[in-house]
Amino acid sequence: MKHFLTRVFNTEFLPMSEVRKIKVVLVMLFLLMMTAVTIPFSIFLNYEIGFKIGAITIMIVFFLFMVLFIKWDKLMLAIHFTILYSIVLTLFYTLGSSSFYAYLFFYITLVIIIFYQELYVYAVYGFLVVLLGGYFTILNQNGLVLAQDIPGALYLYIVFLVLFYIIFFIQIFLNEKLSTDLNYEWVKMNHVVDKYQDHILYYLNLIRKDLKESPFYEDLDFQKAADELSTFIYEQFKENGRDITNVLDLYVYIHERGLEKILENDEFSIPTKKIANRLSKYMLDQRTEMLSMIINFHTKFKTTVLYKPNRYLYDIASLSKETDEQIIALSLIYLYLSNEITGIDQWEDMKKVLTKEEMKELFNSIDADNFLGFNHIGFFNDNIELFEKYLSKISEAEER
Amino acid sequence: MAVKKAFIFSEIEDYRNKLEIKHVRSKNHFVLGVILFMMILTLVYMLVSGYSFSETIPLMVGFLAVLIFNIAHLAYGTTYQEFFTLNKYVTTLGLFALSIGMIFTFKSPSIIISLFIAYSISAFYQDLKVLFLSNIVMLFTVFMIIFNYPAFLGLQNASIESNIGIVLFFVAFMMILSLSSYVIVKQKSFFFNQIASSKESEFRNIDLLIDLKNEVKEKSFSSEKYFDALSEFLDAFCVKIESPNIFTEKIEIMKCIDKGEKDEEILVKFPNYSKADLSRLEDLLITNHHKLRKVAMKLAYMSKLDIKKHEIFSETQFKSFNHQSDSLEIKIISFVLFYTVLKKGYAILPGLDESKIYDVLIHSDFYYYMDPRIIKIYQENSDVFNEIVKDAFKKKVKS
Repeated sequence: MKHFLTRVFNTEFLPMSEVRKIKVVLVMLFLLMMTAVTIPFSIFLNYEIGFKIGAITIMIVFFLFMVLFIKWDKLMLAIHFTILYSIVLTLFYTLGSSSFYAYLFFYITLVIIIFYQELYVYAVYGFLVVLLGGYFTILNQNGLVLAQDIPGALYLYIVFLVLFYIIFFIQIFLNEKLSTDLNYEWVKMNHVVDKYQDHILYYLNLIRKDLKESPFYEDLDFQKAADELSTFIYEQFKENGRDITNVLDLYVYIHERGLEKILENDEFSIPTKKIANRLSKYMLDQRTEMLSMIINFHTKFKTTVLYKPNRYLYDIASLSKETDEQIIALSLIYLYLSNEITGIDQWEDMKKVLTKEEMKELFNSIDADNFLGFNHIGFFNDNIELFEKYLSKISEAEER
Repeated sequence: MAVKKAFIFSEIEDYRNKLEIKHVRSKNHFVLGVILFMMILTLVYMLVSGYSFSETIPLMVGFLAVLIFNIAHLAYGTTYQEFFTLNKYVTTLGLFALSIGMIFTFKSPSIIISLFIAYSISAFYQDLKVLFLSNIVMLFTVFMIIFNYPAFLGLQNASIESNIGIVLFFVAFMMILSLSSYVIVKQKSFFFNQIASSKESEFRNIDLLIDLKNEVKEKSFSSEKYFDALSEFLDAFCVKIESPNIFTEKIEIMKCIDKGEKDEEILVKFPNYSKADLSRLEDLLITNHHKLRKVAMKLAYMSKLDIKKHEIFSETQFKSFNHQSDSLEIKIISFVLFYTVLKKGYAILPGLDESKIYDVLIHSDFYYYMDPRIIKIYQENSDVFNEIVKDAFKKKVKS
């Protein structure tokens, strides 16, 4: 329970599937509570005793299914079941009473659907609940509208229900759009950081070879440390800590043979291939999740310039508002990219320098919009012959 | 309850807040729209139902006041961000005040539901403090009506089931909606954290890349070469547009900054400039770790990024050692390898001492990237971990 609560309070650090699971569990707990209240409360509802027992039994069966779906990680199915369960619970209340609180139950059900923040789920189930709510209101107007009520009170119940549905529809739609936009931005950032790290790894390996250090997977001291540490941790969970050594051996073997060859080899069982595939994201000889996390961890300890509000802004206009300074910046960017190494060339060497044609294409591409304004691109195109004549290649190249 | 961990990069806090405010501002337009719509709806209802002007005008003035306060706060918010925060509270209180005003004007159970509408509009802000405020006001109003004004609900002679049912359902409504908003706020924070962390990570990765380029002595051109080529280009441009060369002075200042001359000395030579001008011109240098070099490098790396649609909500984007699909064995091995590499070091990345590793793993958001069971074992046995690695590397790693 403590572990679950800790996860609820730290959902901002959890991936989407984990959060979805937490949501389903929370809704289930809520429904369990509502059902527990329902059983004694059902004495007030206008049903036969047999019907009451039958309905409660159906709810308990439904509940067991939900538990199983969560256990099997079928989260979407569990979401549908929790919603259907809450609709059944709503019907149980509303068909057995014409009181104001029964009308409130439609809001409770809508709120449960809102909780999941899934647009299509809300659109379909939410609409169904609003229809049921409207039908209930018309059917039970005697219980809802007072003898001396305001004009159109019956319609106000329906209008408020529809309005509530629409407001949350807009909210869920905006949230979904915001999530998509933020996610896209995050993925884009991940891609560009991955590209930096590809080159960081290239240089690190170059330096490692110069230092005559062996790769991690060939370093026996490294293997010994990893083996003893993993055995130590594993022994806290299982009696025989040596079992984990097989997984570690497989990990080292992937580095020696390559994942492709292991997956193609029929001598390996399917479970072994699955483990190999999962281990591949932690390999140390290519840019993987493992390498990214190691590099990011290390950068924490590198000295960096003091924070300025434009630290994460990379467009020329954020560097300076002065036109002449923006022209200087644009010219220097062109000069730098036309003369410095920017990547790996066709012979897999880190020697790629952009050509005039590539520069022209880059400055006029959509990617450049994040760095250059229309005025900068216009200036470049108007003076392209000067850019190419004076800035494309520094004469008599000289190494620093 | 575990204490909240600090961000691994402290620099991101300010950027995170800016992201939050940017999104609150866009959402507020919808809040304004909904309030305006409610105002029109109420006005039409009151006119059609024959309510007198003395009853209609106070409510309309209330709506207008909320709208005007909202717009004014937004306008001031562009200069002073505190107004955005204040706006959320003022609007929330205003909405509930309007709702209570309507309940007292109409005295009908159907109007009690306007509390739900007020609650739903304030939920747009997705702010935990606003949520808390909404809950307090809503609970207070419900109790006030049930105990002091039961006639508004037609409950003068109500059965016990109705009283219990109404209180229970209002509480249930608030509970689930509060939880919902709480999770949404947290999920939104997840993206803000990830984006802000990626930005800082990018900044530091470029720095590392520049260091590595220097370390391998990659072919590069000197500042003089750059300034010579730039001056020739700007001369030719000024000739082309038949104008005197307005760039010379700034290029000279940039050369001084690049040589490492002190600000005071430069300002003596160029008295028309300020320290802020020098700081800006320093950013325009294309050498070392200066900002313009980072701009140029990022531009090159950003080109031809290929983002697939299926990646947008893919779990693989979240880098951690705690993937749901991984078995316990894989989680242990990934953590152990990570720890061992940190201790040993990698090429020019030095091996880190135990206290640094422990501090970041236990006290920063990195903590959440590990399986809680494994990180707990490390937390309780960091000395053992340190000794095992030291033994294996024959004491060649830092303690």
